[in-house]
Order: sequence, then C-alpha cells, then structure tokens
Amino acid sequence: MSLLEIKNLETSFFTHEGVVRAVDDVTIVIDENERVGIVGESGCGKSMTAMSLMGLIKKPGRVVSGSITFNGKDMLAVSQREKSKILGNEISMIFQEPMTSLNPVITVGKQVKEAITFHQKDISAEEAKRRVIQLFEEVGIPDAAKRYSAYPHQLSGGLRQRVMIAMAMACRPKLLIADEPTTALDVTIEAQILQLMKKLQDETGMSVMMITHNLGVVAQFCTRMYVMYAGRIMESGTVSEVFKNIAHPYTDGLMRSIPKLESRERLYNIKGLVPNMLDLPKGCRFCQRCEYSKARCFEEEPELTETAPGHFVRCFLYTDRADQEGKSACPENGGSAACSPNTQAEGGTGR
Amino acid sequence: MSREILLEAQHLTKEFPVKSAMGVKKKSRVHAVSDVSLAIYKGETLGLVGESGCGKSTLGRVLIRLIEPTSGKLFFEGQSIENLKEKDMRAVRRKVQMIFQDPYSSLDPRMKVRDLIAEPLETHHVYHGREETTRRVQELMDLVGIRPELIDRYPHQFSGGQRQRIGIARALALKPELIICDEPVSALDVSIQSQILNLLKDLQQEMNLTYLFISHDLSVVHYIADRICVMFLGKICEIGDTDVVYERPLHPYTKFLLSAIPKTDPDQPMESKELLPGELPSPVDPPAGCRFHTRCPYADETCRTREPEGRMLDGRQVFCHHPLR
Repeated sequence: MSLLEIKNLETSFFTHEGVVRAVDDVTIVIDENERVGIVGESGCGKSMTAMSLMGLIKKPGRVVSGSITFNGKDMLAVSQREKSKILGNEISMIFQEPMTSLNPVITVGKQVKEAITFHQKDISAEEAKRRVIQLFEEVGIPDAAKRYSAYPHQLSGGLRQRVMIAMAMACRPKLLIADEPTTALDVTIEAQILQLMKKLQDETGMSVMMITHNLGVVAQFCTRMYVMYAGRIMESGTVSEVFKNIAHPYTDGLMRSIPKLESRERLYNIKGLVPNMLDLPKGCRFCQRCEYSKARCFEEEPELTETAPGHFVRCFLYTDRADQEGKSACPENGGSAACSPNTQAEGGTGR
Repeated sequence: MSREILLEAQHLTKEFPVKSAMGVKKKSRVHAVSDVSLAIYKGETLGLVGESGCGKSTLGRVLIRLIEPTSGKLFFEGQSIENLKEKDMRAVRRKVQMIFQDPYSSLDPRMKVRDLIAEPLETHHVYHGREETTRRVQELMDLVGIRPELIDRYPHQFSGGQRQRIGIARALALKPELIICDEPVSALDVSIQSQILNLLKDLQQEMNLTYLFISHDLSVVHYIADRICVMFLGKICEIGDTDVVYERPLHPYTKFLLSAIPKTDPDQPMESKELLPGELPSPVDPPAGCRFHTRCPYADETCRTREPEGRMLDGRQVFCHHPLR
C-alpha cells in the first residue's frame, strides 16, 4: 500500500484579480521507503502541493477539490486534534532557510526537545534531553552535548540545517517533506546534507518528498520524480528512466538549459516566460514556449500518457503515438522526443 | 587571445574592523581579502569562485575601489589607481560597470525603465537632450532583448529575468571596458539563467567586453569563464585556464568543490564521493599557515605553520604545499 496518495488535488487562491490555480489536478503517490522528487521552477506549485498536504494553505487560498490520503487517513477530513498528532510526528518538514524556521531566542536543544515532548507526553525531561543529544550526534553535529544549549545565531547555516533535520527526525516520521533543503547552502555543505539525508532515509526506511528546482539534486538523491509546470504535472517516472528517456519538451528544455562540466556547448534557451497564472493558455500550458507545438496544442490540453512502464508524459507527441499503436511502450532508440514520428519528420530533437 | 592586461591587483588586502554591540571598536578584524595578486586580461572572462564568506564579492568591489583597499596596488589600463582622487577616479568608473545579483533590490522601484537606463548617461553627461538620450536608451533595450515600447514601465512590471536585462542595459550604457558581474544569475530560475548567460556571452563578443564573473556555481563559471580563480577565506587557492583547472585540479579545495556539485546523472551516485569535512573557519581569526588546513585531509605540520607561496605548475598558479598529483 502506498504511504501517501494525493489525488486530483486542486489548490486555488482567490485573489482580487481572479482565481489562481496554484495546484491543478495533481496526483502524486509516494510508497513506503521511497525518495520522490518534485521538480519545477518558481511558481510551478511544487511547494503549494506540500503545503496543502500539511494543511498550511492560508487565505485567500484553499484546497478546492481532490483527496489526500496518508497512511490510510483522509488528511483533508481529519480533525485539528488528529492532525496535530500526525504533523511533526508521522509527517515532518524541513525548509529552505533554516534561520527563519528556528526561534532565535530559544536554544536549539530546547526547540528539538519540544518536538519530542509534544508528541510523547510520558517521556521524562532527562530522557528527552538524552534523545536530543543522540539525535544531534546522528545528524553529525560536533560537540552535540555542548551545542544543546547554543542559540541558532551561534551556528553556521549547515549546522542550523542539521538541527532542523534533527527536529524533523525527532519522532521517527514515516514521511519527511524537504522543501529546497540545500538551496541556501554552499556546494560542499549541500553535498554533506544530501549524504546525511540519504543515510537517515536508508537507516529508518522513511519516505522523503524532495521539493527542489535542482535537477542535479534529483538525479543524486531521488528514485522517482515528478516534473511540475504552471500547476500541473508534466512528466513523472523513475529517475533513471526519466533522465535516460526524457520525454516532455519542457523537461528536455530544462535539462539542456543547465551548464554541465562535460561540455561548453551553447546552452539551450526555453523561449519566453512562464505563463501568467491568472491567464493561462487554453491548451497545453507549455504550448507558447514549446518548439514542437502544433495548432492542437493551443486548443486542447493533453492528458498524462504512459510512454514506458511507469513513465507518464503530458504531451500530444505521445498521446498521438499511443493512439496509433494502442498504448505500446516507447521504441528502443530511447532519445527524448525522438520517440514521436512527428518530431522525426521535423529533424529530431534539435540536440 | 591578446594578453594585454586591463586590471591588475598586487598584494591587495582588505580588512574590516569588528565592532562590538555597543559600537566600541575591538582589536579584531575580518580578513576579507588577504594579499591577493591577480590580473584580468582584455577581452577575457575571469571567473571568481568560492563559497559564501570567502571574500569574492569584497574582492570584486575592492578591485574597482567601491570599497577602499586596506593596502595593495591597483592598476587599470597600466595606470595606478589606488591613490587617484575621486574626481580622477570618475573617468575610470565610466569604463568599469557592475551587474548585481538581485534584480529585485538593485533597481529603484519608483523609476521608470527610461530613467533607470538613462541614469548612468546623465551622471556622466554623455548625451544632451531628451531625444538623444531616449534613442540611446531604446537602442540599449533592444540590445539586451527588451522591447523598446516598454520604456515607460516600472521594474515591478517585469519578471526577474527581464529586470536582470535592465540591470545589464544600465551597465552597458557607458560602453564600459570591464563589467564586474556579481552572482548575476544566482537569483534566477534555470530556464532564465541560461537566457542571461547566453546574452552575456553574445554581448561580450559584440562589444569586446571583459568580465569578472563572480559566482558560487562552478558549472556556471565553467560555461562562461576563460580563466578561473578559486578563493578560500580571503586567499587565492588556484588560478588558471578553466579547462586546465577543471580537468585536473591541483589544489585539494578545488577538487572537493568540483566533486561536490550534484551531477545530473543518476548513474553517478554521490555515496561514492569523498566529501569535504567541516565548515568554513571564521575570517576574524583565520587559521595560521595555509588557511585551508583545518578542512584539508592532506594537511601536515608544514601546512599548519607556513603559508604556501604561489607557484606555477602545469599551466596554472597554485597555492599549496602539497599539490595533487
């Protein structure tokens, strides 16, 4: 059974200028012991999906429709009491900026201890403190016992993020949501934190939802991934499959926009800008920026289509093909949009 | 490539006094830039990389005296500039411009694009009359890829990438020789980042510009820079041609920086990587000897006591007692 099932979730913000559908018909499934990446650029709705799950959407936004089931419980229907038992206990979250998520006037040890005593009322004070120091050691904080009484400003960014991870791990969660946990950190520290998170995931068997804009982080950390664009899932599948057979023109464009150490070839530019969420194109949300868009893309929106087992793509290049061949898998030639006869006629993917 | 030196720094040092909470000066100092010597050649892009707090932004500013150096010599086009009076410095400033990281805070929200781009022109009295100025502003907008019709819009009406283009147009207005780019793409999304990087490359070709490109992102620097200078805690570790340094780094710090980048290849897992332990030491009280020795797995007694001199090795300059072989 899957641990988390987000089905057809729609989260909208009702602003003066109109309704913004930040998350639009999003379905995400996370199994036990899985590391799932949600990738996309700013404003694509990746954080809002996590916020909806945590029940943190504030007015003028709200979850309009869809369902969120965690461990068999309907997260949108549970009482506030029930929810506070789950959040921070079975589901915990770490954020991008560790400084703003920690209280500056309370020692870090006390803050982590609070996470334990809140959920385990019967634990003694000394026992809780011992647990905190043990957690600090687990997440690689040097001089753990001494750091217990340090204030957040006395720690570096990397150490603060380790404290956040210790807090998130305090109750041995089943699901850890990490929202850009390494974006504010330097590369050498980023690598340390990613390695730490992988180790903890390995040891505890928890699931991780990694929200990031960095495809490198996804490639290194995750086993499965979802690519979001303007509130929609555009592509999903296992990391090895998606990176090998990139299908959606948006994912492909993103990949080719990243400078790589192997080559200094001119970077690809996805033309234009992310559409205004108040005024989305009628058809495919990516149609105005897509190299392969046809008249149909501007008129109707494609559905997610399975191009290979477990690899889903929202693009007409693939639905057309699936119609013709009765939903067969992608051919062996493997290279991105080249699966489609349409693109081959246009001279390949332009790589 | 011509090897004409445009900007040169010799033994450049910048120390900031540390003040206590009550404003009383203490004796300790932040050693932001320590004894840095480097040259920027005409027409090249020199990439300046390092982690936050290594002094790369300070160095960028000290080089053009936006922050006054504590000591050291500075030459621009062969002319010594470290003691120039502010009046004479203006002529130099015209040839050196800057692009900043955050396009949201570096543009005055109450000024129209027209005035933002015309500001440097007016400060230096380049054009006379509104018409001439407007024509030049529109020319510049066109050059950086913003439609000239949008001349009367305000910054908030543009996206982050477009604002960065406006920032670039401002920097180009005076036809400078050298542009200091301080993390110009760090605040931008991936798809916008590649647009700006390509624009900077094209402009360099067209206008024969020289860039000092400051960034913490080694992949970005690899893409744009001809030469690269790696800094750690106010000191240069390694400086040389990008390809030479990236292919076979000789300074341990460069090696660890390169291997820490999360690669977009799921088949190269990170567990196998050897990571750099520890964190940046405090620049207020930098370690004696080689500043990197507290994090360096190869450090020995020499590294702890004696500061390494720069030496030429395999086509690059490296500051290390035990360069990698």
